[in-house]
Amino acid sequence: MQRGKQILKLLLILKYKAIRNIVIFFLFPLILSAQNCPFSINGNISDQGTGLPLGRATLFLEENKEGTVADDEGNFLFKNICEGQYHIVASHIGCESKEFFIEVLRDTSLNLTLKHTAHELEGVVISANSKVITNQSVETISNQTITDNASKSLGLLIESIAGVSTLKNGNSIAKPVVHGNFGNRLTILNNGVAQSGQQWGNDHSPEIDPLVANKISVIKGVSALEYMGSNLGSVVLVEPNSIDKDPHLHGKATYFFDTNGLGNGANFQLQQYGKIGWKINATAKRSGDKKTSNSFLKNTGNQELNIALQAEKEFSENWKTDLYFSSFNTKIGVFRGTQATNLTSLREILNSEQRFSEEGFSYSIDAPRQEVNHNILKIHSKNYVAENSFFDITLAGQTNSRDEFDRRFSNLRDRPVLSLLNYNLFGEVKFQKRFINNLVLKTGLQLNFISNTNQPGTSTLPLIPDYSLFQTGIFGILRKKWSKNTAEIGFRYDNSTQDVIRVSRREIRKQIIFEEDKFNNLNGSISLKRKFSEHFSGTYSLGYSSRNPGINELYSFGVHQGVASFEEGNLDLKVEEGIKTTLDFKGDINEVFTIKALGYYQRINNYIFLEPLGTVLTIRGALPNFKYNQVDAEIFGFDFSSRWNVTESFFSSLKYAFIRGTNLSQNNIGIINLPSNNLKLAIGYQFSELVTVFGKNLENLELGINGQHVFKQDNISPDQELPLNVERTEFAPIPDAYTLFGATASANLQLGKNRLRIVMKADNLFNIAYRDYLNRQRYFADDVGINVSLGVSLKF
Amino acid sequence: MKTLKSFLFIGLLASVVVSCKDDDNDADDTRDLITEEQEVITTLTYTLTDVENNVVVFKFEDKDGPGGNNPVITGSGQLEENTVYTGSLEFLNESGEEIENVTEEIEELDEEHQVFFVSTTNNINVEYGDEDENGNPLGLVSEFTTTTAGSGRLTITLRHEPLKDAEGVKDGDITNAEGETDIEVTFDFEVQGN
Repeated sequence: MQRGKQILKLLLILKYKAIRNIVIFFLFPLILSAQNCPFSINGNISDQGTGLPLGRATLFLEENKEGTVADDEGNFLFKNICEGQYHIVASHIGCESKEFFIEVLRDTSLNLTLKHTAHELEGVVISANSKVITNQSVETISNQTITDNASKSLGLLIESIAGVSTLKNGNSIAKPVVHGNFGNRLTILNNGVAQSGQQWGNDHSPEIDPLVANKISVIKGVSALEYMGSNLGSVVLVEPNSIDKDPHLHGKATYFFDTNGLGNGANFQLQQYGKIGWKINATAKRSGDKKTSNSFLKNTGNQELNIALQAEKEFSENWKTDLYFSSFNTKIGVFRGTQATNLTSLREILNSEQRFSEEGFSYSIDAPRQEVNHNILKIHSKNYVAENSFFDITLAGQTNSRDEFDRRFSNLRDRPVLSLLNYNLFGEVKFQKRFINNLVLKTGLQLNFISNTNQPGTSTLPLIPDYSLFQTGIFGILRKKWSKNTAEIGFRYDNSTQDVIRVSRREIRKQIIFEEDKFNNLNGSISLKRKFSEHFSGTYSLGYSSRNPGINELYSFGVHQGVASFEEGNLDLKVEEGIKTTLDFKGDINEVFTIKALGYYQRINNYIFLEPLGTVLTIRGALPNFKYNQVDAEIFGFDFSSRWNVTESFFSSLKYAFIRGTNLSQNNIGIINLPSNNLKLAIGYQFSELVTVFGKNLENLELGINGQHVFKQDNISPDQELPLNVERTEFAPIPDAYTLFGATASANLQLGKNRLRIVMKADNLFNIAYRDYLNRQRYFADDVGINVSLGVSLKF
Repeated sequence: MKTLKSFLFIGLLASVVVSCKDDDNDADDTRDLITEEQEVITTLTYTLTDVENNVVVFKFEDKDGPGGNNPVITGSGQLEENTVYTGSLEFLNESGEEIENVTEEIEELDEEHQVFFVSTTNNINVEYGDEDENGNPLGLVSEFTTTTAGSGRLTITLRHEPLKDAEGVKDGDITNAEGETDIEVTFDFEVQGN
């Protein structure tokens, strides 16, 4: 009996752990047979969302190199199976194909499910199996989308979500903008820990490799209560997937090539789940000078080398610990033509056509350039203390070093003009309990320490001062579900002390001045979600958040190299306070037509922004002078996305984002640096049958074209961006609207036991010359022209 | 129990972090930053001397560096019409403990630099009086000639890595010079009639 039970024991371990609704059946009584391969695997495959059978799904048993097609009811059968371990790849039109691991000890029956992409809007999963459980609006970029866009940075990847844009400096530096909030106003969580670096700089992009992470979620929320860090509601979450529970060594190798910039790169992943699970992930990328529609942009190459290590161990059913380490290293060239030293040269550059761009292509990266290294080490434990309650305990450390080089005297050429080192230590204890009456409590305590120091050897006075910041935060969120409703209420309190060591401004012999800032912040939110039907739900959220003035907003003082401006912090700044409300609806009609609409309004008191003041005369000539100022402001907008599966094969999608900001204190003028409204359209066709090309069977062959229209930012006038005594309209016109087209083709190919995915994309297909309002390079040069990229990815 | 241990560990970590906040060490770093050699030119002096040793001086001083207090621009002496002056430029960094003569650095790297003199009027003319290693103009020494009486504005620009071979650059035309501007100051001048 005992032995029989052991033989009966069947392991079914899924590639995707989060999907738990796969049921294992034991259909037949134990048959002991002398034959080697007496067993069968039969099963049924269905849609994860609807439960409807996926007729004509293809199933491939890798070990036997045997394929079968499910019948109309989703049933399939493999016969003559030996005892052993197997991998089955299941795919179906409109679904992301998935690999399942099984161990066969006897006849085995499986219920497999696949996620139908009707839920997805061009790679953006609306209701993903994300760990983030909140009423607030969450959208996720899937692993496949990240791999398909291997050459893209984090910012450019999440731009595909309606309401998300990027603030760029050239094409290699891109900061995410969510509902108009970026930099100091947007928290980016790297594997659950607030990214600690130099996010204050508009020309500093987040130091994260999206290929090292596998999932990126954007919370377009009203108040991010669970996360430490400064933000006004919205959060970007970058997470690696948990390690697949497969005892065999598996991996994925990806290579991509871009025609524009002759960029190429590779990503390599290996993982195994034995006694401990481990995963290693490494990326190397290189690109040279990018090209506009007609000329090369000198010194716009970039290089990246990243590695991440992940390990996890289940010590018991109630205790799991994981460890994560990642190192991100990059060298980014900044377009040489943007290097202005004063108003005269700024005027000269702006009036000349595409300065420094006529020269040929090169991979070399000279000054001005940025060299950034970011490391994170995190240990996390999840301990269940009872069936329905657990602790999450996290400890993390980060280091961030940033060196920026400008063109200088030869003897200073190898010295950065800005050299900053940032240390961060973070500790967190979270507790979650689910009560019997569907009430969930989530609460936590967080401690955070940041030290940011200027490194000697730059021969310049620091633009931002040295500081250390100590923060303590607590939060509590209650979530209650009843009938068709889910209500959420929560608060957060933070206490911060910031010690600053700054340099005096007016003395000839500079003095050291100590400052201490203390802040208390209270944030809170309520929301109610109602499921009107299986296919339609709506959520209303209201939240209050406050943000302390950033270090640059208070203390920056100096010439901001490259952009020829003098930047001055404002010591009198007060805490910024925002009240935001969102109303969103999402639903689908028979999974054929999917729609999501979100409206938001945010009122921000003491909104901090960099205001042009006039010019400051220096020995290098006159420089535009900018000082941080505070006004009352409001931002409102509307995000809309939809997808229509016209037939089983043919689909179209549409996205629209509208945003408007008003400065209520200054005659209701517009707010600068808010994204332009944009409209995105895509149509695609996915072949339901295998398509044979050169004797190879291509699965899931998909062809698509897309168009994007970016409206002119007509809410502001050029006067607002440059000082009054600078001839503004002459050289800084707001860029016109533009329309870009693109095309994509992708397919999967089974090569023995391995699975190959090929993706071809073309961006800016017609090589249009355009400038984008949120790209700071727009003052000096056109944006990038046509790019054709090829990506191949092999799963083994 | 495990949970309790984790709590203790975080508490321990926090106390280590707090005790690590040593202001003095941080302040020393900042002090190093202030005292290290700065890439700053605070003072430009353009001295004009005629054959009779009459001296006219134009001076631009911004000792606290960019921002803060406004620069001080002064002139002394009198420019006479139809006179030839020998001009010499001096660049100083007066922000540190010791006054640093940046002119010497420019002389050492003369092929990487060139001074341009641009006047709003044509009653003065500035010619180069020196050459770099490659025989191209530099401009630390110049010949300043006045013709008729009248007032105008003279802009002195020091360019780093100019294209000395570009059209007109050797003759003092800044239009095609490119490179980076290290200095750009403007003086009002008046040429006195006899």
